[in-house]
Amino acid sequence: MISKTERVVNYVVLTFLALLVLFPIGSFILSALSPDRSGKPVGVGDFAWGNFATAWRDADFSRAMAVSMIIAVVVVAGQVMLGLLGGYAFGVLGVVGDKVLFPIVLLGMMISLEAIIVPLYYQFRTFGLTNTIPGIILIHLGMGVPFGVFWMRAAFRALPRSAFESAEMDGAGPLRMLRSMAAPMAKPAIYTLILLSFMWTWNDYFLSLVFLHGDNQTATVALGVFQGKYVTQINLMAAGGLIVAAPVLALYIVFQRKFISGMLAGAIKE
Amino acid sequence: MAASSSATVVRRRSLRRRTRWVGLGFAALPLGLYALVVLVPLAQSFQYSFFKWDGVTASTWVGFDNYVSFVTDPVLRSTFGHVLVLIGFFALLPIALGLLSAALLTRAKQPGMAVYRWIFFLPQVMTTVVIALVFKRIYAPDGPLNTALRAVGLDSFAKTWLGDFTWALPALGLIGTWVTFGFCMVLFISGTSAIAPELYEAARMDGAGPVREFFAVTLPGLRGQLAVALTLTITAALRTFDLVWITTHGGPGTSTLTPAVALYKAAFQNPQVGLAAAIGVVMAALCLVIAVVITRLSERD
Repeated sequence: MISKTERVVNYVVLTFLALLVLFPIGSFILSALSPDRSGKPVGVGDFAWGNFATAWRDADFSRAMAVSMIIAVVVVAGQVMLGLLGGYAFGVLGVVGDKVLFPIVLLGMMISLEAIIVPLYYQFRTFGLTNTIPGIILIHLGMGVPFGVFWMRAAFRALPRSAFESAEMDGAGPLRMLRSMAAPMAKPAIYTLILLSFMWTWNDYFLSLVFLHGDNQTATVALGVFQGKYVTQINLMAAGGLIVAAPVLALYIVFQRKFISGMLAGAIKE
Repeated sequence: MAASSSATVVRRRSLRRRTRWVGLGFAALPLGLYALVVLVPLAQSFQYSFFKWDGVTASTWVGFDNYVSFVTDPVLRSTFGHVLVLIGFFALLPIALGLLSAALLTRAKQPGMAVYRWIFFLPQVMTTVVIALVFKRIYAPDGPLNTALRAVGLDSFAKTWLGDFTWALPALGLIGTWVTFGFCMVLFISGTSAIAPELYEAARMDGAGPVREFFAVTLPGLRGQLAVALTLTITAALRTFDLVWITTHGGPGTSTLTPAVALYKAAFQNPQVGLAAAIGVVMAALCLVIAVVITRLSERD
């Protein structure tokens, strides 16, 4: 339908912009593989794959990655559960006072972490919850409630009402209906929520920087410390960066469609 | 007949009312956690912001002093100036680039679009710490940028980009451009493909050229996407923390200090907790105002 020149112009524009995105990342990967501490790019044959092992050891990434993984997995599981409960309540059952309560929940998507971080820190300190993994999990979960509820509510409302009605006729209680019917039917939305929630939790820096120190450092904070110490060893710093970015990138490669559609939908509805 | 049907309605209504109480039970756990972690601290932020407190000894009531320092303290005031510069790089430049590419690209589906989309979204899934490292290397004294400048004979332009009082802030801003422009592009391209083709045909019938067509059809059609992109990127500029903290710590001097970095320093480094809370409150209020104003504007005819 469109002419050949138009097609070529399209590809030229797209490729130029794509290269703008890829160039910094590509050059970062090359320096991670460089045997030279300045990160000077080298040919394929001279790639220093050992940089990853060295960086992993020197930055004590095994501990930091484990901390990040524990936090992310627990937060994802919790956020999905809270999203299911809240989304089902607001989307299907209805909630007493939802005319007031739901806007308050939505407001949470616009409240930035900065607005609450100061009291959060000093209150948690009084209860001895700073620098503990349960403490930070609690914060991630509470802050994730608005998006989780909003997201699952939309998913449940998109389900055909007749399914609920016939299940009600069969005498299914609300909890059984959620477990055996609504949740399985909303699987695509749940998967997207899992991916986005994992990405947000794993990529967090600010919250971890404030709340976790020493042995409880997450991978992102450990990377920040590592790069401060290894200013002159650019190849190791880059290798460390790729290690920390790897889990989310791997998920992005496998589930790219879900990631992109989820982020676009989440952004537009916000 | 009529009586029995009205009885069913009544029964249904009471059933409905009962499920709404059950619903509240279901929502109790998420709502409770949300209140505990977000709403209570939000209220406390207001409270804290009227006190002077070092985080250890007793606090003293100071009224609006912490808010007054946004005007009187030149360093704090400058952080909002920096945000304005960052908005140019995080919001205006990417949106302009995104619109331009959406206008240049014809609206027909082509093979390979998925691959490009994947690439354009890549910066969105990378943690900012890693992005900061990527660009720290690019801007380094002997990094790729300076090497390239020297290679084309522009030696005098080569500098320590992130250590330069004039250039550090724009250099940081360009990182934001890099992060957000792909997102804006994908948003706008998917937006243009949703515009009814008849509108374009009508514009062409009226003899509109590509430029007129862009302003008469594409731009109004993208209003919703524009509002989303503006809200997200402007708030991102206002809230910049990770990038600055990893690359410059707000320096050299205070030339790249942002409100979020000032908040962090005031809250946890040399505690002026009340001031930190006030910064948080102001940032949240600005985010809210920006979102509301942009949504209102985009919905107006």
